[in-house]
Amino acid sequence: MSNFGKLAALVVALYVLQTSFFPLIAYHGISPNFMLLLTTSFAFLQGMEKGTLMGFATGLLTDLATGTFFGVHAFTYMLLGNLCGRFANRVYKEQFFLPVFASLGITALNYFILALLMVLLGYRFNPISNVQVMLLPMLIYQLAFAYPVHFLTYQLDKKLSTKETN
Amino acid sequence: MSNRVRRDKEDGRKGWAMVFVVVSLFCIIFFAARGRFQAPVSSQAVSLVLSPFQQATDWVANEIRYVTSVVWEVSTLYEQNKMLRNEVEQLRGINLQANEALAENERLRTMIGYQHSARQFDLVAARVIGRESETWSSMIVIDRGTLNGIQNDMPVVTPQGLVGRVVEAGPNSSKVQLILDPRSSVGTIVQRAESRVTGIVQGDMDNPTMPQMVNIPKNADVVEGDVIVTSGFGGIYPKGIIVGLVSSLKNDDGGLLKIGVLESAVDFQKLEDVMVITASREAPPEPIKPPVQTPGTETDPVTGERIADQKAEGQK
Repeated sequence: MSNFGKLAALVVALYVLQTSFFPLIAYHGISPNFMLLLTTSFAFLQGMEKGTLMGFATGLLTDLATGTFFGVHAFTYMLLGNLCGRFANRVYKEQFFLPVFASLGITALNYFILALLMVLLGYRFNPISNVQVMLLPMLIYQLAFAYPVHFLTYQLDKKLSTKETN
Repeated sequence: MSNRVRRDKEDGRKGWAMVFVVVSLFCIIFFAARGRFQAPVSSQAVSLVLSPFQQATDWVANEIRYVTSVVWEVSTLYEQNKMLRNEVEQLRGINLQANEALAENERLRTMIGYQHSARQFDLVAARVIGRESETWSSMIVIDRGTLNGIQNDMPVVTPQGLVGRVVEAGPNSSKVQLILDPRSSVGTIVQRAESRVTGIVQGDMDNPTMPQMVNIPKNADVVEGDVIVTSGFGGIYPKGIIVGLVSSLKNDDGGLLKIGVLESAVDFQKLEDVMVITASREAPPEPIKPPVQTPGTETDPVTGERIADQKAEGQK
């Protein structure tokens, strides 16, 4: 299987798990967001360019597959992939601490960008209760699943780079 | 030197491309939210590719759910049995009262010549195979599509009440917008005969599990515990489907209206199987059947006289 095929398979597998399996453990409808975790990890490992592309692809997949506000995830994930990719040169690939904990900050940033977009679209909500209901459970889930997703992405990245050097 | 210039140029181009994509996406978001932009073909293609995987994963998830629920049920069997016995006792009492009320209802209907108009639905059963993880919007994916007769704007229900409507029907899967979604609006009415206040039920971003009934006049007769059903206005949802109970009431920011916070009839956290209403119509009135009579005491339904007496007179 080509590198692109392996990446696509990982994206689809994580997306299917996120939407079909993990709603089993959803709290008030919130379950882990693997697409965001994958974008963060991939951007930290592969750099700005590929991180941006991955963010765009995973965001577009989310928008197209679930029928949410079209374009919002493609927009936010692409920006966040770009942002994480900027730190790729400053982080050792073997070092898991920063990508795993950065996923918390990225989740929070994603939440605030989405909240801003919702306000611009004309939806009103109470920011404090909304943070309690939506962001806090999401952060807990993301922290719990950031390591496994980063580990998977790291292993795939290692395989892909060995294949490229051969 | 030339390499550096070329790299700078490439970086510049990539930067401009990024800016272009970001601005385009920003515009698309607003056009899509206003309904002026859609991507039905690509969206359906993605659904077509994903739905088999989602169905397979959902099957595995259901099996796991089944096993865990069996284990839980076995461990709580004794307590459950005790509770059910109590419930049976209570229900027997209620059943007696209900039979009385039913008989009275029939009598009153006959008296006022009211024609019973039971609505009939054509239903297609579907299984939920996908769900969003974020709650800015509330959407689910079901495993039935246009090949099964599903079309856009068809209402989706469970035996407990209203779930939402189909917003995008693909060939073998469809996306359903739940009534919890902030973009959804359902015309509703208070079921209580003295009230019959109308309002619109919308999703609430602050509390994604409890929708709100808005546009209720401040002096309207709506109280906590009122059952809210669809009003049939708007043409999408048939009349009389239960939406939920009024859990609490609060004042609107404007001060002239109030908002009812609803406890939805459907438990959206445990949504596994749903039904899509593909057609709804008024049922023809049932033919009147004479009641079953005890042999030997039969009476003529027209004259009301005993048939045995009529026969005896004929013989004379």
